Amino acid sequence: MLEGIFEEASLFKKIIDSFKDCVQLVNFNCNEHGIAAQAVDDSRVLLVSLSIGTESFQEFRCDRGVTLGVDLSSLSKILRCGNNNDNLTLIADDTPDSVLLLFEDTKKDRISEYSLKLMDIDADFLDIDGMEYDTTITMPSAEFAKVVRDLNQLSDSLNILVTKDTVKFVAEGDIGSGSVIVKPHTDMDKPQESVKVELDKPVDLTFGSKYLLDIIKGAGLAEQITIKLSSETPALFEFSLQSGYLQFFLAPKFNEEE
Amino acid sequence: MGIKGLNAIISEHAPSAVRRLEIKHFFGRKVAIDASMSLYQFLIAVRQQDGVQLASESGETTSHLMGIFYRTLRMIDNGIKPCYVFDGKPPILKSHELDKRSARRATTEEKLKEAVEEAEKQKHERRLVRVTPEHNEEAKKLLRLMGLPYVNAPGEAEAQCAELAKAGKVYAAASEDMDTLCYRTPYLLRHLTFSEAKKEPIHEINVEVMLEGLDLTIEQLIDLGIMLGCDYCESIRGVGPVTALKLIKEHKTLENIVTYIESGDANNKWKIPENWPYQEARDLFLKPDVLKGSEIDLKWTEPLEQELIDYMCKEKGFNEERIRSGIKRLQKGLKTGVQGRLDGFFKLKPKTKEQLAVANAKAKSDQGKTKTKGKIGKVGRPKK
Repeated sequence: MLEGIFEEASLFKKIIDSFKDCVQLVNFNCNEHGIAAQAVDDSRVLLVSLSIGTESFQEFRCDRGVTLGVDLSSLSKILRCGNNNDNLTLIADDTPDSVLLLFEDTKKDRISEYSLKLMDIDADFLDIDGMEYDTTITMPSAEFAKVVRDLNQLSDSLNILVTKDTVKFVAEGDIGSGSVIVKPHTDMDKPQESVKVELDKPVDLTFGSKYLLDIIKGAGLAEQITIKLSSETPALFEFSLQSGYLQFFLAPKFNEEE
Repeated sequence: MGIKGLNAIISEHAPSAVRRLEIKHFFGRKVAIDASMSLYQFLIAVRQQDGVQLASESGETTSHLMGIFYRTLRMIDNGIKPCYVFDGKPPILKSHELDKRSARRATTEEKLKEAVEEAEKQKHERRLVRVTPEHNEEAKKLLRLMGLPYVNAPGEAEAQCAELAKAGKVYAAASEDMDTLCYRTPYLLRHLTFSEAKKEPIHEINVEVMLEGLDLTIEQLIDLGIMLGCDYCESIRGVGPVTALKLIKEHKTLENIVTYIESGDANNKWKIPENWPYQEARDLFLKPDVLKGSEIDLKWTEPLEQELIDYMCKEKGFNEERIRSGIKRLQKGLKTGVQGRLDGFFKLKPKTKEQLAVANAKAKSDQGKTKTKGKIGKVGRPKK
C-alpha cells in the first residue's frame, strides 16, 4: 500500500512537467524511502533519474515496494485538473492496476478524485552509479536556462569550456556566433546567486541544444543547478529537491570520428 | 531469399528478441545495409503512379538511384550513418538456387508475352525485375558522390554486413533476409529502408536473446535454417517449421536427424534430398567468404556537390532543386558531429531470468493485440 501526501500539488506537477517532454513511459518505483524513477529518451541520449525522498511529502508511507508504470502525458493531464495549492494524495495498493490521485482544497472543503490506469512498461535499467567527474559547476538555474535558450538561437550545439576560473558557453552557427562567460563568485546576501567551480581537469564538451532545452525545464524546481562534467563522458545536470533530486544524464557530441 | 517460417518461429518462441522501434531510436548508429536487397526493393517499389519505373530521358531506369538517394537521406536526417554492402560472387552451392530462379524467369517471360491485360503485364514485369551490374555500378557511383562508404563483399552481402557488425564497425546489419541471422550478426534490422509513408516500424532482432529464447546454439539455428530451406540447398520435403524445430531440439544436429529419418523410424513421408550438401551449406554460414571487419575502414565524408548535381540532374534527369536541398541535408547530417549515446557509458542492469520469462509470456499473450493497435515505438501495454 502506497500513500503519499504532497502539501502542495504544484510540487509534483512541477517535477512531472520538467521531464514529461523528453520521456513518455516511466516506471515509478515506490518503497519506504520514497519514490524513484529512471527513464531514457527514444534516441538514448538523455537519461532522467528522479528521486523524491520521504521528506518532500507531508506524509508518506509505503510498506511494500510497488512499481507504477505511468504514461506521463496522461498523468500530466490529470495533474492539470488540480489547483496548485491543493493537497495531493497518491494512493495505490500492493498490486495496483491503477493509481488514485486526490486533490483536496482544505479551505473550501472540496475533494476531487482521479484514477489513472497503469501500464506494464518493459524498460531497460541503466547502472548510473559510481561515475566520477573532472569538474563540478554550481550556478543559478535561471541563469543557466537563459544561457541555453539564448545560445540555442544560434546553433543546435552548445560548447561548454571550463578552465580554472571561467566557464565559457559557446555557440557557432550559420548566422554568427555567441558566447557567454561566467566566473565563480560568492554572493553573501543571496547565496543562491553564487557561482562555484570545482575543477580537477579542464573540460571541453559539446552538447545538443535540443536536449539542453529539455533539461532546463527543471529550472523551476531548484534555485541552483549542479553540472558535473568529464571529457567524453555523459554530463550530469542535477536539480536538488527539498529531499531527493532530479538528474539528467546527457551524452556529449563528438566532433571527430573515433 | 530468406528462411521460410523462421519469423513465425521467433515470434512464437522468443518474442522478446524482436523489438518494434521507430527510426528515431537508431539515432547516432552506424548500420551496414545489404545493398543488393535494397536496390531490388527500390526497383520494385519506387514507381510512378501508373506503375511504370522511373526513367531518365534516354529511357534508362532511375528508380534505384531515386531510392538510394531519398531513403539514405531519411536515415541521415534521423542521425543514422549507413554503409552499403554489395554482393560479390555467389557461393558455388547457390548456383542450384540461381538456376531455378532463371528457369522461373524464363517462364515468366513467356507469360509476359502472352499477357494481354495491363495489370497482368505489370505483375509479370515486376517479377522480371533484376538488379543488373549496371544498377550496382550506378548506385556505387551515387554513394561515392554522396560521401557515403560502401563495401564490395567477396561473397554474400548479408554475410559481410554481419561481419561488420560483429567487428563493431557498425551497430547492426540491415536486411530483409532472415539468412542474416545465421551469420550471427548481433542485431538484424528489418524494414529500415522502407519508405516513411508505409509507417512500418523497424524490427530489431537481437540474435543472442533469440538463441536463448529458442534454446538453440548458432549451429543448431543454422541447421534449422537449412531444414526450412535456405539459398544453398533444398529442404527436407514434408518438414515444416514446427516439425523442424522439434527435430532439432530432439536430435541436436542435422547429422542425427538424417540418421533418424534414414533409419525408417520417422514419418516415411519425409524425403531427404539426394546428395544433400547440408554440411557444406552449414560451413558457408559458419565461415562465410568475407573481408575481415577489423581491416575495413568506414569513412563518411562531405558530398561532392557539383559532381553530384552533374550526375543526378544532367545525366539522370532529376530535378536540380530537389537534389540541391538533398545535398544540404547530407551536409547538415555530417556537420552536426556524432551525437553520443548513453548505452556506451552505462551498463544495462541485466534482467533476471524471472523478468525475462515474464516479459516473454507477456509479449506472447499480447501479440494479437499489438498488431491491431499497433501504435509504434510504444513498449508499454495497458494493464487490463
